[in-house]
Amino acid sequence: MILYLLTIILLLLISPLLLTFIKALKMRLLFKRSLPLLQGYRTFAKLMQKETIISYEASKITRIAPFLVLSPLIVIMFFLPPIVKGAFYVSFVDAFTITGLLALSTFFLMLLGLDSASSFGGMGSSREAFISALVEPAMVLTIFSISMMAGDLGVGQAGVNLAHHFPKEHMASYLFAAISFFILLIAENGRIPVDNPETHLELTMVHEAMILDITGVYLALIEMAASVKFVIFASLFASLFMPFGLELPIIPAILIFILKLFLISATVAVIEVNTAKLRLFKVPNLLGIAIVFAFLSLISFYVLKG
Amino acid sequence: MFQFDLLSLVFVVLILLGVVPNIFYSYGYLPHIKRKWHYQIHYFSFILSMLGVVTSANAFAFLFFWELMSLTSWQLILTEVKDKTTTEAARFYFFMTHFGFVFILLFFLIVTDGNLDIDFKQMKNIAGAFAYPTLLFFFLILGFLSKAGAVPLHVWLPYAHPAAPSPVSALMSGVMLKIAIYGMFRLMFDVLYPWPLEWGVFILVIGSLSSLIGVLYALSEHDIKALLANHSIENIGIILIGFGMGMIFSTLHLEKLSSFAFLAALFHTFNHMSFKSLLFMGAGSLLHRTHTKDIESYGGLIKSMPVTAYTFLLASVSISALPPTNGFLSEWMIFQSMLGSSHIDNMSLKLAIPFAIFALALTSGLAIACFVKAYGITFLGLYRSANAKHAKEVNGMMQAGLIMISFVVVSLMLFAPLYIDYFDRVLQSLGAISVYNEIFPNGFWHMHSVAVNGGIVSPILLLLSLLIITGVLWYGYKVLNVKERIHRTWACGYRTGIRTQYSATGFAGPIRRFFNWLYRSEEHFEKKTVAGHTTKFDSSLYSVHVKPLFETFLYTNVTRLANWFSYWIYRLSHFEQTRYAAMIFNLMLLVLFSYRLFSHSFSWATFALESVVMIISIKVLIIGDKK
Repeated sequence: MILYLLTIILLLLISPLLLTFIKALKMRLLFKRSLPLLQGYRTFAKLMQKETIISYEASKITRIAPFLVLSPLIVIMFFLPPIVKGAFYVSFVDAFTITGLLALSTFFLMLLGLDSASSFGGMGSSREAFISALVEPAMVLTIFSISMMAGDLGVGQAGVNLAHHFPKEHMASYLFAAISFFILLIAENGRIPVDNPETHLELTMVHEAMILDITGVYLALIEMAASVKFVIFASLFASLFMPFGLELPIIPAILIFILKLFLISATVAVIEVNTAKLRLFKVPNLLGIAIVFAFLSLISFYVLKG
Repeated sequence: MFQFDLLSLVFVVLILLGVVPNIFYSYGYLPHIKRKWHYQIHYFSFILSMLGVVTSANAFAFLFFWELMSLTSWQLILTEVKDKTTTEAARFYFFMTHFGFVFILLFFLIVTDGNLDIDFKQMKNIAGAFAYPTLLFFFLILGFLSKAGAVPLHVWLPYAHPAAPSPVSALMSGVMLKIAIYGMFRLMFDVLYPWPLEWGVFILVIGSLSSLIGVLYALSEHDIKALLANHSIENIGIILIGFGMGMIFSTLHLEKLSSFAFLAALFHTFNHMSFKSLLFMGAGSLLHRTHTKDIESYGGLIKSMPVTAYTFLLASVSISALPPTNGFLSEWMIFQSMLGSSHIDNMSLKLAIPFAIFALALTSGLAIACFVKAYGITFLGLYRSANAKHAKEVNGMMQAGLIMISFVVVSLMLFAPLYIDYFDRVLQSLGAISVYNEIFPNGFWHMHSVAVNGGIVSPILLLLSLLIITGVLWYGYKVLNVKERIHRTWACGYRTGIRTQYSATGFAGPIRRFFNWLYRSEEHFEKKTVAGHTTKFDSSLYSVHVKPLFETFLYTNVTRLANWFSYWIYRLSHFEQTRYAAMIFNLMLLVLFSYRLFSHSFSWATFALESVVMIISIKVLIIGDKK
């Protein structure tokens, strides 16, 4: 139980580090002087000390929504697969609940965007609604497929099952599901090519547009939510699609897990450096690829299983 | 005449849960209505007729109350005739509901052998002896699904529901559509029981199509009541997906999964009743205070109408199937029953069901987008019209109705195990096996799927953990004691005004553009430019009109075909008596031949002979020589 809580706290603690790492790696790859790795924590600390400015036009939703954006994501942290052997884990919560909680967080984020009456907020919400509506079917199908291979719908249990019994006989379906899930990771976290987290251009903003009028502690909460969401997706990818290292003793197991998270972040950074952001109306094509791979994964699993 | 078995009682409970808050709301709304007696008489006979339908024990009572329900609701739509659209909507509703009634009547005439007094158990024997059970199935589908509003018989909903007074649209959408679902349960189980596989697949396909098409049209809709009516189509689709899965599993002898899927359908029926009634009442309050149904002229109403706003938020979260609400629980159950399809041996069916999963998942994603639009544009931001600026909270009775129905929503979420236990007993009484102990094996904390390796959800734990974590975060915020400053919206330095906000049309823009192959939208763009400048203009107007595809394709084209055919007949007849006589003669021949064909033995030789006789007689007697 203590191990369980410690891993959750550890993941929460390294979450800002991962996003800063992506940014720093990107700057280094572009031959810029990179920002310090602790920048995420610094920004967080700075935002915590600031006063909050609330829009004159905004309603109570602005005061409620930041908490409701973050709290479903923290709840998900409790349901992730274990990262060391013998740690307690919530075996039963299934992936629909997790997608549902993610959608709950996005729902309030979109309301937050519309609350301040600025045209940017509405624009961001509208785009986010469009993207997340198309992410949903790919997510459900991928999860269905991976849970078939793992033999359990519960996410925690699926992670453990995959670590114990790797589905060698369904390698094709497994790879298709992995590709699909990685596209979802990029889309849900608003990375290039779906959204560019670094610009503040009205043509390209999605996530940033929604939170343009949020300041201080509220902004800290939302930024926290963004990094927690990335950690959730990265650790789901690490547990479900890189299921090794769970058998090791505690310290190496944790180190290997963190290494996996950094590897995923590095991959995201490399993709970001090498691709341009897609036009909004080209994003469905990318998500369509995810949906097709999810279907392929499921169908090849059924057909090969006979 | 009447029976009170468990299936009837569960729908009596459904009607009462929907009706009691509605009566409060209705009396808050009554001062607004001019024809008070007309309204009250029809309102209460509408409620009684719905209760009558679900408790009637024979075909005669069923048909009588069904027709009474249709007629009273038709009169209720006509309570407040403001313009021509109301009467047209009422006429359309009248036609569609009687179109369905004809098929229900035909169904009952066949399964009762003309004796309308016999009860449902006796009908089963007659139906079993009937040679074409699929014909009966299609009569049933056409009859009930035209009332429930499944694709392609859904076209009347977006007209009839907005035209009715708000309490009535809440009743019609929340409760009356469920009476059709009752009819499906009653007659499918009691009369047509052994189902072929194709029936289940057919219902599943209709359900998937309805859910997707309903939500897509809801997204493009800016009349708040029509938006909600389109969402009813979506939710009826979701219920039918559960129902269809139940039928498929039952045919394949996967009894547990079948019970689970039917349970999910029944649970979603209840949930949809609760949140849709709440949403329609909320929409009614908005209409009452702002005198418009157009979302584009709302905005900022959360400040002036808090009770309406927060109850509407609860219903929006629930209908978007977000955890831990009741809408999420029933949709979770339907998803789990579809995931149970991995137990099916039939490979083609097994590969087909993921497409239904895809449809349902896309539907739930789009539903979230749609309710962010409906809630955000209506209640958040700045007022978009003078009416919205001066809106006030509705009166106490209406608020009481809203709060009571939100208690129903919350009770369906908190006491889900009790409801499911009840539904389980209902299904047991219909002959399905009990699965309650498999859904809740260790007390009420965790809800299990009955499939092997199925998922588990724990609604109360989710609710508690969300509350606790939000509470902790909020406490942390209070401890920090942050200074707050109120300032106008920054928005990158642009001035924020009423006109610069995002509109509902704009919000749905990306989705509308992506699904343009379905919408075929017509765009109108006008702007008055200043002295030849292309970029400077005084005023501009942009509006999008989405054509309802099914209406244009199915209905308008059928009307055109009928018109063309009758004109052709008219031209043939030339007002000559001999030709009229010849036509009547040919019609009689047709009737006699087809009677022989359907009631007696069929052989290709006589069919060919008769066709030749028909063609010759039509050619010689009617068409005649070319002039």
